[in-house]
Amino acid sequence: MFTCLYVFDFPAQAALRLEPELVRERQNQVPVVLVDGPASLMRVVATNRAARDLGIEAGMTKLQAEACGPVEVKKRWTENEEAAQSALLDCAREFSPIVESTAPGTVILDLQGMERLLGPAERFVKAMALRAQDFGFALNVGVAANPDTAMYVARGLGGITIISAGEEAKRLAPLPVEVLSPSPEILETLDSWGVRNLGALAALPSVPLTERLGQEGLRLQHLARGETQRTLVPHEPAEDFIRSFEFDDPIENLESLAFILSRLVQELCAKLASWSLAASELRLKLEFESRQMQTGTDKEIYEHLWKPPLPTLDAKFLAHMAYLDLNAVTFSAPIKKVTVKVLPAKPRAIQSELFSPASPEAEQLAITLARIRGVVGSSDDSGTSCVGAPQVLDSHRPDSFTVQPFSPLSAKADGQHSPVAAFVLRRFRPVLETTVELTGHQPHLVRLWKKYRRVRAASGPWSSSGHWWNRSLAWAREEWDVALRMPSGTVLYRIYLDRKQGGWYVEGMFD
Amino acid sequence: MSAVSSLRAQIEARLPAAFAAYKRPERHFILTGIPQIDLVTGGIPISALSEICGSGKTSVLVSLLSQACQEHYCALVDGRDSFDPASAGTAGVDLSRLLWIRCGKTRQDLPPLEQAFKTADILIQSGGFGLIAVDLSEFSDRLLNKVPLTTWFRFAHVVERQRTALVFVEQQPHAQSCAGLAIHLQAQPVIGPGNLFTQLEIKAEVIRTREKKPVQSIMTIFSLRSQWA
Repeated sequence: MFTCLYVFDFPAQAALRLEPELVRERQNQVPVVLVDGPASLMRVVATNRAARDLGIEAGMTKLQAEACGPVEVKKRWTENEEAAQSALLDCAREFSPIVESTAPGTVILDLQGMERLLGPAERFVKAMALRAQDFGFALNVGVAANPDTAMYVARGLGGITIISAGEEAKRLAPLPVEVLSPSPEILETLDSWGVRNLGALAALPSVPLTERLGQEGLRLQHLARGETQRTLVPHEPAEDFIRSFEFDDPIENLESLAFILSRLVQELCAKLASWSLAASELRLKLEFESRQMQTGTDKEIYEHLWKPPLPTLDAKFLAHMAYLDLNAVTFSAPIKKVTVKVLPAKPRAIQSELFSPASPEAEQLAITLARIRGVVGSSDDSGTSCVGAPQVLDSHRPDSFTVQPFSPLSAKADGQHSPVAAFVLRRFRPVLETTVELTGHQPHLVRLWKKYRRVRAASGPWSSSGHWWNRSLAWAREEWDVALRMPSGTVLYRIYLDRKQGGWYVEGMFD
Repeated sequence: MSAVSSLRAQIEARLPAAFAAYKRPERHFILTGIPQIDLVTGGIPISALSEICGSGKTSVLVSLLSQACQEHYCALVDGRDSFDPASAGTAGVDLSRLLWIRCGKTRQDLPPLEQAFKTADILIQSGGFGLIAVDLSEFSDRLLNKVPLTTWFRFAHVVERQRTALVFVEQQPHAQSCAGLAIHLQAQPVIGPGNLFTQLEIKAEVIRTREKKPVQSIMTIFSLRSQWA
């Protein structure tokens, strides 16, 4: 048994399927035309039914089309059609491993033996149609005992058509001859004979037909009778998990991007699921419209990489994580194209240890951290992350640290942390410039918070230095711990003299 | 008697919880690691808002983090990026279990104080952390006095439903009755032999607690040694 999924008005649907404002009207309620060609002479290359009802045909110029009535004009992007075809194949592959990419907008599935898995034909074709809607397609479905019949009934008849074995000729009879896509010469000949539907073609005597139209005529007659049998040419799915969408009108708001992003991620996750894989990385690339008229090829590109805590197929979670980070970024130009790529990995399951502390749930934590980054920012001017687990660097340079991604899954208690109650330093970042008056070699007055503070006691100097082998990174300082008389009492501060720069600084206070 | 029974039955039929005895939930605590404070307070209460104020608060906070990270994952919302990982690591804090959020480091729409409050809100709502500490020490009292009491009440109300201890570190207490525990500290450096600062003598006053009665303030004095002593 073979099933054909046929997306009518495929170029128009490919252009519309990911656009939220026209999703509701994609059932041919809004006239849409696709134009292509040089800017001075754009011609209509595809229309939907509503546009054809207005009298718009392929080949018209853009102005002629617009003169027929209110119509949505969109530029044709072949990348969108390729992406739509890939999505259609992924949708079909959810129901059968043998899928043929017959033509743009047309795929045929071999469902031999699948009834035991999917159920009766009436049930699974409805499931296919609904699933195709999730991918943004409105389509016709044809089911027959041979692939060609299934394809022609899907192309010729609307909705879902199921043909039992032996009824092919009867059900194909009313369809017009054009559905077989014969050559113009044969079509003209058949029309001159008064043969306008497949029933009339099937009724012609075969030998005289062959004499006049050749083997092609005989082939067409076999198709009209539903007698052909062929094996499908299975489509080998590409192993790249990448989807892109190019906007006809560049978008400036994130809400439109979020909708497209979530649809693309959803399609990629569906493809991953069909391969029994999960997403371990999500890469996003945004291309912006150049605002510079002089160099039209200049492109601004934004790229970002997200790694979920575990390989996941949760499309909603991946899209939400990406959106939260995008929300914190300001873009200087409208977005013209979005490309999403996922890195596949085998799904993993983590079993928590019995004696480890309760930790935030991994996916919820990723969302929480993304939300926090949206509030405080991702990294400071030096590139150090603002959100994460601190890590002291193995360096003698004071205040040498980095911030690592916070991950309870990888944090393991090493038993080397014995709590010690001690007074600690509270740092000023950046360090405060100050002026120090010395008596002998001892600090006597320290200027802090715009006033000179008397030093009650000072401990030092404690000299330290490092990186002497690299002139640009070398540092040397002389530290003092000073107890300053402040309005609230005596407070202990750490100050130092930068021997390289020659200035005094307040590093922090012991609190 | 029968009239009373009948009346009780009618009320119970309409309001089943009218005669239910309210059971105070059992409190759990996280020890600060400073015995003198733990003795008078029992530790920092979980599912409650606490305040640590005055001078010496950072050392008490780091001691609390070192204890809490033994059994929980903790979060520190650093209002002005003043946390010193090296000191904390030496004090025994397991830094791999600490989520450090550094506010005010990038140009964002919100000022650092609002970043700190919003981040704390996100962390409490997400759950999963045993201790959330919000360091507001570098913000002036004038600024913190402008925070409406409803904000503190909302934090206290939300954290009651979580198994999280929420601690605010400030110069002065601001949460008033929303805080289940408020400790005020007064630190004085002690100069040791050789002109070395080896000790910080801290006078701690528990100015508010729900756990120990009577309610008058409780004083205790303790010393913290330096990390080089």
